[in-house]
Parts: sequence; C-alpha cells; structure tokens
Amino acid sequence: MKLDAVAGGELIVIGENIHTTRALRSKGKSIVENSGREAVAYTDSAGAQRHLPVPDSFKRRQEYQQGQIKHVMIAVKVAMAGGDGSDEALIYLRQLVDKQIRVNADFLDLNVDEISWKLEEQKAAIKWLVTTIQGMTKLPLSIDSSNVEVIATGLAAYDSAATRPLLNSASLERIEALDLAQEHNARVVVTAAGESGMPNGAEERVQNASRMVDAALEKGFTLGDLFIDPLVFPTSVDRVFGLHCLEAIRGLRKKYGPDIHITGGISNASFGIPGRKLINEVFLILSVEAGADGGIIDPVLSNPVEVFGMNRDSNAYQMAEDVILGRDEFCQKYIAAWRKGEIGEAR
Amino acid sequence: MAELTDIANETIRREIEEYLDRPEEIERNVGLFVRVRPLMQEIAAALIEGDDGTVDRLTKQALGEGIDALEIMDDGLISGMGIVGIKFRDTFIFVPEVLACARAMKAGMAYIEPILSASGVKPLATVVMGTVKGDLHDIGKNLCIMMLRGSGFSVIDLGVDTSDDEFIDAVEEHKAPILGMSALLTTTMPNMGKTIEAFIDADLREDVRIMVGGAPVTQEFADDMGADAYGKDALDCVAVAKGFVSVQA
Repeated sequence: MKLDAVAGGELIVIGENIHTTRALRSKGKSIVENSGREAVAYTDSAGAQRHLPVPDSFKRRQEYQQGQIKHVMIAVKVAMAGGDGSDEALIYLRQLVDKQIRVNADFLDLNVDEISWKLEEQKAAIKWLVTTIQGMTKLPLSIDSSNVEVIATGLAAYDSAATRPLLNSASLERIEALDLAQEHNARVVVTAAGESGMPNGAEERVQNASRMVDAALEKGFTLGDLFIDPLVFPTSVDRVFGLHCLEAIRGLRKKYGPDIHITGGISNASFGIPGRKLINEVFLILSVEAGADGGIIDPVLSNPVEVFGMNRDSNAYQMAEDVILGRDEFCQKYIAAWRKGEIGEAR
Repeated sequence: MAELTDIANETIRREIEEYLDRPEEIERNVGLFVRVRPLMQEIAAALIEGDDGTVDRLTKQALGEGIDALEIMDDGLISGMGIVGIKFRDTFIFVPEVLACARAMKAGMAYIEPILSASGVKPLATVVMGTVKGDLHDIGKNLCIMMLRGSGFSVIDLGVDTSDDEFIDAVEEHKAPILGMSALLTTTMPNMGKTIEAFIDADLREDVRIMVGGAPVTQEFADDMGADAYGKDALDCVAVAKGFVSVQA
C-alpha cells in the first residue's frame, strides 16, 4: 500500500487474518447467541450482519474451554467439509479476504498449521484454502507454514498466472525452501533463524539473515524478491528483545540498500502483556523507522494509515515505546497504565 | 478452622481476598499462612510484589535469626509463588510480572541453595527439559526451567532441537525421574510422541514421568501420545512436576 510515512512511500502489508491460530475471546462482544446457538457475529462483504455458528465439536476443545474461539479454524473446517453451514463459512472467509483488500493489504498470508497435527490434514487444508482464496481475490498469497511439505503443497495448488506467490518462510534450518521458491517462481521470506537455534542478539540476526540473502542471490533471486524477517521476540520475556530486532533491521537495511524488503511478525512483540494492539502498532512504527518496509500484521485491526497517523506525543504511545525500547522494566508502567484504562484495547 | 483475619500480614490477607476465588484454594492458603511465622509472610508478600530487594534483605535476616533454610524456602518463597501462580492462571497478572516474582524468588534462593546443598538436602527431583526435534523455540521452555529451578528442582537443560537419543541419554545419565518436552509448532508436536515411543523401545518408559507443553499442545494431544501430564504454562509445569514427586513419595 502507498504510505507517505514510510521511506520509499510504500508499506508492504502481509495480512495475517486467515490463520487458523486466530482466536476471539468467548466473552468478547462478537460472540453472541443466535437462534439458540453460540455464534461469531460479523458483517459480510456487503455489510449485512451475519453469524458463524460455533460447532459443538469445537466446544470440547481445550482452547474453547479456556475462553477462546478459533473462528478462522471453524470457518476453514466447516467450509471444507462442505455440508450444513459451509455456505456461511465461505461467506465468513470471503469477508476476511475483502476486509483486508479494503485496507490495501499487499499479500494475504495463509496458515493452517493448527488445523491438525497430522501432516496429511494440514496439506489437504492448505491445498483447499489456496484454491478457495484465489477464487475470491487476485491479490498474491503468502503460503505460510512451519513445515516445508505444507508450503510445497500450497505452492503446487497456487495459480501463478496473474501474480507470484510468497513463500513464508525459508531459513538456515531449511534452506531447501529456497529451491522450492525458485521452482514455483515465488518470492520468499527469509528469516534470521539459525541452523540449530534462534538468534541471540542483533549481530547474529544479521549474520543468519545475510547468509540466507546471499544464498538466494546466488540462486538468481533479486533483492526485490526477498523479504527478510529478522524475528520478533516477545518484549515481555526480556526487555532487550525489542532492541535486538530493531538494531538488526537497521543493520540489514544498511547492508543491502533500498531494494530488499524487511518485514516481520510484529504481533510477537506483545505476547504475554495486555494492551497488545498498541504495542504491536508502535513496534510497526519503530520497525519502519529502523528501515523495515512492511510487516506481517492484522491490517483490519491496525490499519496502517491510522497507525502512522497516531499521536506520538501521547502518554500511551510513549509508554508503549518504553516497553519496546527496554526502558520499562517488567513492563511495570505499561501494565499499571493498562489497569487504569489508560491504554485501551482499541483506539 | 483458620480464618483470613488470623493472618498477620496485611498484604497476604489482601492478596487472598482479592485474587483467590476457588474455595479449596482459599482454604489451603489461609491455613498455610495462618501457620507460618510473620517474617515468612513478609517474605512471601515481598515475593508476590516482585520486590527482589526486600526478599533478599528478609531472607538474610531470617537466616541470621536462625530460621531453617528449608522453612524459609517452603513457607516464605514457595508459598508466595503459589499465590503468584494462581493470579497468573486467572489472568490477574501477566508474563513480565511473573518474571519479576521469579527474580525475587531467585534473590532468596541465592542464600538458601548453598545452605541446602551443603547440608545434603537433595533437590525435589531432577528434571530433564528440552524442545523437541525440529523445533528451535525455547522461550517458553526457558520460562519453565526458571520456574522449576526457583521451586527447588534441579534441571538439566538440553536446549532446542533435541533428538530421542539426547533425551534418553540425559534421563539415564542423571537418573532423572521427570522429563519435560516442549514444542511451539504443530509440525514438531508429533515428535513428542516419537520420543515417548523411543523411551518405550529403550525399555525406559516406566522409569520416567513425562510432561509436555507448548502453545499448540493440548491435554487431549498429550493423552493421545501417551504423556503422563500436560502443563499449560510455566507455573502449571511446576505444579505437574510437584504432582509427580508427591506421587512418588
């Protein structure tokens, strides 16, 4: 999407709304009773109020009993099954697509890893989902999995006549994913993960990511084909994590110049603390200031146009920045402010 | 029966009143804190508030007054961490706040541990911990290890991407009665089951209690794979490990 706030005038948004991990709080306002059934209330692409029922089989699941409703997983499973309710589930998926298009997402990231721990079921789901979502939009898709075989299945199902897919992701621990990307003419997210462990600090991130970039360039990818994910870790766990990531972004941008893309799973930054939305948004702003030109984000919840228009002098912004830059030990001030209602879940 | 008002320390009273909801937990904690001496209540209160400086000072003071190291650990530190665990489970507090409490715990344990080991007091048990094969994520596993160590367990950390053989060798070498496996990915989660199979094949399954955890892992999945227990977070992991030890005893 065009965005003046970003150096280069363009922010590449990889929308993460079609992930089977996505959950709604069962006590939240979008979970309602409809005709005697628990359901997710939503507006469809035409603006009409609709309901996606929560199947009884989901009510036995652990996450449901812990107060979470995995709405995207419900929609994918019910739509794939093709029986009763599959029309509603397809309408639900379609609005997830359309709402991301409306806020000018550049890629739609698809991830079905949580649908099952069985590889065959994951493969069946990604194949179905790629075909189904391509039937709804011309936007390029990002095929996301922690398993290369699932990614391969998704890419095989992808019709690349109009747009190139994005492979999410390749890293030193599975460098063969680069060949897979080449085979399918895909652009590729390369991460800063090491061969045998997660990177420690900014330097190691730059080194790992550089080895991936260099390997890709050698295979004939261009800088513009590559999206570096420097790996965002939760700032709640260690206050240096935010700084490590931002410093790596600066280093990588300096090293590779303006053509390479730098992105990242921004919402990891806020794991473990309340008031996550603001932390995510400020992390996006700071990443872009450090040299990133995109993010793997929920663009509907955090529309970049609004995010980059945020008042940076506000107390809430400053407190979120302090968390990310390691200036708020154990996030004490931020959490205290959240308890007083000074952070807010939504703007 | 012990009453809340019988607890001397105001912070502990308030914590129980404000954050505890389940009758059996209220009863257990009221009974516990009524029994323990006021200085132990103060240590627990400081730990709950994540105040490592005060825990450090009071632990030193208690030892100076001749109070037994084991009593300080059980009645001051671990009792405080019990309340922290409940508050975290019920989402009254969040990850960084638990980490602050863990740091306070560590401040106290820095005095307690050398005394216990010098006097031959054994750790609760040895736990072998690792992230499964193919999985490089260790943040959650490291939180578990920190909480286990803070609660009196000795932990052998095998790091990430741990093979069946590495798990088996470590359990054998350290004669560990407990094994904990972590996975963050649905794609690596099944490796927990494979490792459990490997323990069966090596004829060692009966010698070790196996607990599993990680974001995508569920109780149902743990049961399917034949694990002995599932822990939903770092504090639950400690509760599970303690459960294993008490069954053994």
